[in-house]
Order: sequence, then structure tokens, then C-alpha cells
Amino acid sequence: MLRTLTLLTLLALSPLASALNVVATTTNMAMLSAAVGGDDVSVTVLAPPDRDTHYLELRPNMMVSLRRADLLVSVGAELEVGWLPPAIQGTGNRRLNPGQRGYFEAAAQVELIDQVPDADRSMGDVHPMGNPHVYMDPLRMAQVGHALAARMGQIAPEHADRFSANAQAFAERMDRLVARMTEQLRASTDAPPGVLLYHKDADYLMRLLEVPVLGYLEPVPGVPPTGRHLNALVSELKGREGVMIANPWQSRRGPDFIGRELGFPVHVLPTNVPVDGDVADYEALLMQWVKAAAP
Amino acid sequence: MNRKNLLAAAVAAAMGTAWLPVMAQEAASAAGTLGTTGIDRARLTSGTQFNPQISVILDGVYYGASREVEGPAGFGDGHDHGHGHGHDHAHGLEEGFNLRETEITMSASIDNYLDGVVTLALEGSSGIEVEEAYLLTRALPAGLQIKAGRFLSDIGYINRQHPHDWLFVDRPLVSELLFGDHGLQDNGLQVSWLAPLPFFTRVGVEVLQGEEGIANYIGEGPLKEKSGPRLVTGFAKVSPNLGFNHAAQFGLSGGYADAFQQQEVHSSGRSENIDGRSWFAGVDAIYKYDAGGTYGHRNWVLQGEYYFREVDADYRNIDQADVLLDQFASRSRQDGLYVQAVYGFAPRWNAGLRAEALGLTNKSLETNSNRSNFESFDASYRYAAQVSFAPTEFSRLRLQVNLNDYAHDDGDHAHDAWEVMLQYSVSLGSHGAHQF
Repeated sequence: MLRTLTLLTLLALSPLASALNVVATTTNMAMLSAAVGGDDVSVTVLAPPDRDTHYLELRPNMMVSLRRADLLVSVGAELEVGWLPPAIQGTGNRRLNPGQRGYFEAAAQVELIDQVPDADRSMGDVHPMGNPHVYMDPLRMAQVGHALAARMGQIAPEHADRFSANAQAFAERMDRLVARMTEQLRASTDAPPGVLLYHKDADYLMRLLEVPVLGYLEPVPGVPPTGRHLNALVSELKGREGVMIANPWQSRRGPDFIGRELGFPVHVLPTNVPVDGDVADYEALLMQWVKAAAP
Repeated sequence: MNRKNLLAAAVAAAMGTAWLPVMAQEAASAAGTLGTTGIDRARLTSGTQFNPQISVILDGVYYGASREVEGPAGFGDGHDHGHGHGHDHAHGLEEGFNLRETEITMSASIDNYLDGVVTLALEGSSGIEVEEAYLLTRALPAGLQIKAGRFLSDIGYINRQHPHDWLFVDRPLVSELLFGDHGLQDNGLQVSWLAPLPFFTRVGVEVLQGEEGIANYIGEGPLKEKSGPRLVTGFAKVSPNLGFNHAAQFGLSGGYADAFQQQEVHSSGRSENIDGRSWFAGVDAIYKYDAGGTYGHRNWVLQGEYYFREVDADYRNIDQADVLLDQFASRSRQDGLYVQAVYGFAPRWNAGLRAEALGLTNKSLETNSNRSNFESFDASYRYAAQVSFAPTEFSRLRLQVNLNDYAHDDGDHAHDAWEVMLQYSVSLGSHGAHQF
């Protein structure tokens, strides 16, 4: 009996016994964790790429992954606030408590835009600490990568050098990517007309590319487009050129209305790489955005 | 009433001491700025640094009924005992506007070992009740966790949910009438274990004081005094790993109460006393489908629970001069179930149906006419339909219609009643998170 139990326990733990166990909330964070951790980490992801991370619901099996995790890599700034805190609490894994080495927020490693210290809920579901969607900025992701390498190095000092070299390689790739993105943008237009976004999730990227954001379909963050707001956008932008970009999980009605009324091309683009996506997928994803933003 | 006042006083005292350091911190944190970069900070949060995260739930219901609703036969809770003066059962709602429950939750990490959670409910406008006030460990090894204080038991599924987490306006009958107005909510200790298996498996044991509902205790007069804790419960939950889109959980739970007591004192001074022990067992299942749409569009939630309770009791009918008039020993056996389905038919909208049966086995704790045994009654049924609209994550409107097909004490079913409820439920303060 005891032997069976021991065997079962070993079986449950064995595939991940040697590597550093990383749980990432989103596929982008998983991509970064794998890029920095290399062969020395094993990465599990909690949220699928094709839906809004903010509105995800807790699944009990998230706790199974978190129970054995050495490190939790989240986007942070309360993007996952609706489900991650109870998942951590329900796990009882002390390594992952906020403040411990095993708890890592990407947004806490970089400077955030759109900080709203005097936020109020009438402004919608704002994040007072700043816009959490840092994963749409390759340069901030590179910074996060360095911080993540340092954190992984604290947990597994024997691999610290490799983590730091991997983070450096990732950062260099991101530098080259930004050069390529800028080149692509300039090749197609001198002055990009600007993008209309559904939600404030690509602001970092547009700022980096110096592409103006013409507006958002949501009247305030977290509230779906209303007819009145859409009409206001249409009368404000009438006669201008621009591009509409939405995400796959969002309703097509608002974006299609804008496309019809303003003649904007409508793009539906992901913000997260596929499950098990790598750095090349991340580069391809951002290049898709660049191509869409520079018609 | 006395007890409520005591509670209110205790809460006031606790708040008094709790607020002092909080206020000091508030002054201190006001000097800091939120506008600095997040570099090197462990976590970015809008909570005011060391203050507890506070959220307030406002919940109001407009209630209307086609006729006066009397409770299902056999679940009189010691109040109406078949005398026809039906106690006001309808979930405590009066016809017209009701302020249901204003719930204030404060939670914070106490230190690196413990979290603390306090939930106070302001019931209507009448008094304060401590719904939950517990400590939860977050640093025990091997997947173990201990919860201590006053909390909602983890038996079943809906029991640990607060009213604003429900998918319908009202609590299922089986939860309300077998476990108590607030479900099984008691003082005690819980030890749970998240097993190191490839799929979610959590088991736990609770030792509870045993005060109300399933372990009702009086302990005075002809009812034996028994020291606490008087209730032990256990639960197991298993959730197969079904990927990103599906989540299911199956649970088993049960409990044993060393004391189950009820007393009805009549105006003549005669008292009817029930003194015994009870046990219960139940199963629960929940399935959620995440369709990946916006704001819950095309999501499904299916949920059902069944409970059986047996009370092994001595009945004694004692007159005002302490003369024993009637006496017998017997077993009451009662059960109940509900099943419900809720579908997100549009972004931000959902609609649901619920069917309930109560007393499929219904040997109650009420006596038969010659006071020689407990009386059996028919089963009662209730059907509900609801439509909800959530303009944002923080607010919700819900319209619900119930059709009650309750068995009546006199044996007929001709007391069907329609009920209609229009509810608002909003949350103020820190962003809430939801358990599965």
C-alpha cells in the first residue's frame, strides 16, 4: 500500500522533478518564460490565448498547476485580479504568495503608461497603477525578460548565468524586431493614418511605433460599445483615414459598423501567441499588427 | 434579538480596535505617491497599501407573490407545526421593496503565514451579523490549509457562496431548509488538503460548534446540555482536467451532529421538545463551459446538488407543570435537490432555469395527530426562471419568476403560488474575485 502510494506520488511529481516549474498566466508570459528559462524550466499556461484574460474564470485545475509551481509569471497590475488571487489562495503554495520569490508580475518590472491615481469606477474598469498590457511592447518585454532571468536565477542559482544569457539574447532579438517593425512601417507609409482600437490593449505598441490611436470602441474600459459612442466616433472621424483593429473574442458588430461607416479596413488580430508559441510566433504576431497599422 | 445585539456590540468593539491602526496607516500612505514606476515592486495593486481590501455589496429586491406563500410541508422549522399560522417563509422577503443584505467584506494578508477575511452582513436595516470572520493559512507545506474562525462550510457547492455569487435571486430550498437561512455557517476549524494528483482533488474535514440549522442546539430546559463542538463535516471535490474551455467538479459531503434539538413553547406553557442527533450526506456536480465570447456570451453553467438528512430523536411533550404528556423515539428522514442551467444568450446577459424538489423522502420532525410518531408529508416542488443583465463587472440586474408547488400540511397541493423578484446587486470598492 505504502509502496503504491509512494509510486503514485513520484509519478505525479516526476516529469517536472528536475526542471524549474514555471506557471504563466498567459501564453505571452509562457513564451517569455520559456525564452528566458530555456531547457531548465518547464512552463504551464493557465489562460488560453483566444480570450480576454481579464474576464477569465477560475478553473479548479489551475490550482493543480500552481500547487507544484516554483514560479508564477503573471502580467500583473490587476489584469488577472478576477481569478488569480483565489487560485493562489486555494493552492496554499507558499512559494507563490505575493512578495515571495515565486510571485512575478511583468507589469511591476517596467514603467507603465496611463496611470490613473485618482481612478474611479465611473471611468470604467480602469487600472489605477497603469495600463497592464505591457506584453504588446517588445522593448518592455525585453526589460521584463531581464528581471525574470534575475528572479529565476534567485530560485535556481545553478542556472543563473544561462537565464541571464537567454534574456540578453531575447532582448537583442526584440531590438532587431523593433528595427524591422519600424522599417516595415516606413516602407509603406510616411505618416500612418492611425488606428481605432476596441480596448486599450495595444497602446504600448502604437506608442512605440508612433502610430496615433484615434480612439476606442469601448466608451470606458470594460464596457462594450454603445450606439451613441459609436456614432460619436463616426462623426468625429468622418473623412479621416484609419484602420480598425479588434481582438478575436470581441464582438464584430462594432468594428464592422466602423468599417461600413468610415471605410476603415477592419482587422481582427490576436494579442497572445498560440499555446506553446515561441519567440518567432511573438515576432510574427507583432509584425501582423504593424502590417495592419500601416496599410 | 438579545443575541443580535450582543453580536453587534462585539463587532463594534472589534471594528473599534481594528480601525485605529488602519487610520494611522491611511495617514502614512497618503504621503506616498502612486505615480512612481513599478520597478522593483513585488506587486502593483490599487488597494491602499496595508489597508484591508474592502468591498461592499448592495442587494435589493422587489418582491411580489400571487398569494401568501406558506413553507413546504414538513420543513416548518419548529415554527408553524401544522397549526396553519404559516410563518413568513418567503426567504424573509416582504411584498414590495426589500433591502436584502448589505455585505461588507474586508480581507488582507495578516502576515506571511495568514490571510484574514471578515464579511459583515447588514440585514435589511435591522442588525449586523458576522457572516464570516476567519483566518486562512497560506504557508503550510504539502498542499495543506487550515481555516479557523467563523466561515461558510465547504460542503457541497453553493454553501460557501455569498448571495451575490448566486445565479438566482434566492437560495435553493434544500440549502435553506436543511442547513439554515445562511446555509451551513458556523464557528470552527477546517483542515483541507489539495492532493498532489494530476487533476484537482481537494478533501477536507471541519469541526464546527453546531448551533443552527443542521445541528440546531438549545441545551436548556428539558433539552440536554452538550458541550461543543457538536458538528463534524467532511467533503471531497474532484475536477477532471478538461482543458481551457470546460471545467467540471464533482463533490461528496457529509456530516454528523452530536446534538439536534428543537423546542416549541406554546402559549399555554406546554412545550414540545425534540432531542437527538443528526447526520447528512450529499452529492454535488457543477459544469462550466467557457465559450470564449465577450462578457459571458454563449457560456453555460450547469449545477445540481442533492442532500439527505436523518435525525434520530426523542420527542417529549411536556405541559406547563412539567408533566410528561407524550413521548416517543423515532427517525426523521428528509431530502432535497435542485438542478439549474444558466446560459449567456448575449454579451452581458444570461438566462437560467432551476427545478427543485424537497422532501422526496419527507418524514418530518412534526408529530402526527396522536403524537405517537413523526408525520410524513408529500414532496414540494419549485421552479424558477431568471434573466440577468450585468452592465459592467460591478453591477447586475436580475428578474426571476418562481412557481411554487408546495405540499401543504393538510395534504393537498392546491396552494401553488407565483413569485416575482426584481433584484439589483452591485459591488463597491476593490475588484472582486470569484471562486470556482
